[in-house]
Amino acid sequence: MICEDARRLIGAEPSATSGELAQHLKDCHACAEFQLEMVALDVNIRRALEAPPAVARGRRRAPPAQRGWALAASIVLAAMATLAVWALRTNASLAHELVAHVVAEPQSWAGTDAVPEAELEDVLRKSGVILATTPYSVVYARSCWFRGHYVPHLVVRTPHSLVTVLLLPNETVAQRQSFHEDGLSGVIVPSTHGSIAVLAASSAPLDALAERMRLAERMQDNPR
Amino acid sequence: MRNYPSEPPVSSIGESGTDAAADTRITRLFESMRPDLLRFALWLSRDRALAEDVVQESLLRAWRSREALKDPACSRAWLLTIVRREHARLYERKRLELVSLDDALEHEGSALWSGDDSDIHALREAILQLSIEYREPLIMQVLGGFSVDEIARELSLSASAVLTRLFRARNKLRALYGLTTAPDGSGTEAPP
Repeated sequence: MICEDARRLIGAEPSATSGELAQHLKDCHACAEFQLEMVALDVNIRRALEAPPAVARGRRRAPPAQRGWALAASIVLAAMATLAVWALRTNASLAHELVAHVVAEPQSWAGTDAVPEAELEDVLRKSGVILATTPYSVVYARSCWFRGHYVPHLVVRTPHSLVTVLLLPNETVAQRQSFHEDGLSGVIVPSTHGSIAVLAASSAPLDALAERMRLAERMQDNPR
Repeated sequence: MRNYPSEPPVSSIGESGTDAAADTRITRLFESMRPDLLRFALWLSRDRALAEDVVQESLLRAWRSREALKDPACSRAWLLTIVRREHARLYERKRLELVSLDDALEHEGSALWSGDDSDIHALREAILQLSIEYREPLIMQVLGGFSVDEIARELSLSASAVLTRLFRARNKLRALYGLTTAPDGSGTEAPP
């Protein structure tokens, strides 16, 4: 692969990780730097798109006759509002803190080489976690202080993109939650041992990875 | 695998046989997506009234063809696809009535961004100024989570053409940050 092709691919999908591209990035410092710049730009593009643009009204709205849907939906939803607000407020905080944590650690997306197995085990051990298998290559592994506990913060290289995984043995969620914030999309799923958060800055099968991590996760008998 | 919106006959309304509880669930599901759909439509159309109409019409279409939604987990992509198609329809129909971006900015001015991050503010303006051929795939990819192949299918382009458009869109935005733009040797787009 030549640099021009590599940069076109990176420009189209900054977090793309095809084998050929990964090999090129290993050998070409300039293109690797270009990818880092593009990933950073993409985070900002996501942040920019996060809120809708406050553009003006260009023309008259549709007649009220077409607004039946809104009225019907409002009536149906009225009864659900209180419960929804309560649930969202509880869950939004965890999602928000996860995003803030990941955004504050941008170097986590710069890893290209697989983390040595011993290093990964050490990170997991600090939180009393074992992974029976590690789906895809783990290119970043740190034990991070999050909500009063050390938790494994991993980045895995999937065929689609880099995906962040945080194993949260001390956080319980009742059901799957999804969120979009600061240019990141994520899901938090309940696991046998707390919960698992999976986040990415691009389209990625988050639920599939969360499920694989959930199935692989075990707890140590005597965590350190 | 996503299922994409079909265009069922209008006569399917009221003949679906779905019970009230299922209708309530799908109403909640659709309505919970409204902010996402409106944001998507706003970035596509750059016009609030048009975006609201697009979302309104899209939700009606989605409701009529709700039985085509086999997997609720795919509902976001399904609804976004309907919004994009509805926008394309209205865009074609109403393009002469639309205000230019300059007009929109004259009215709203700095209200485009109320935050204090000037880089992001500039980026938002730059994205709005991208022509629709670059803005649309970028928004579909970043906001919608569509893959290159899905965008290609939806826009009736080749995957290679979508890659080129996405590359060019980001390349234009790079300049905002004073970054060197990558050489654009991709030439003309390949046919689908």
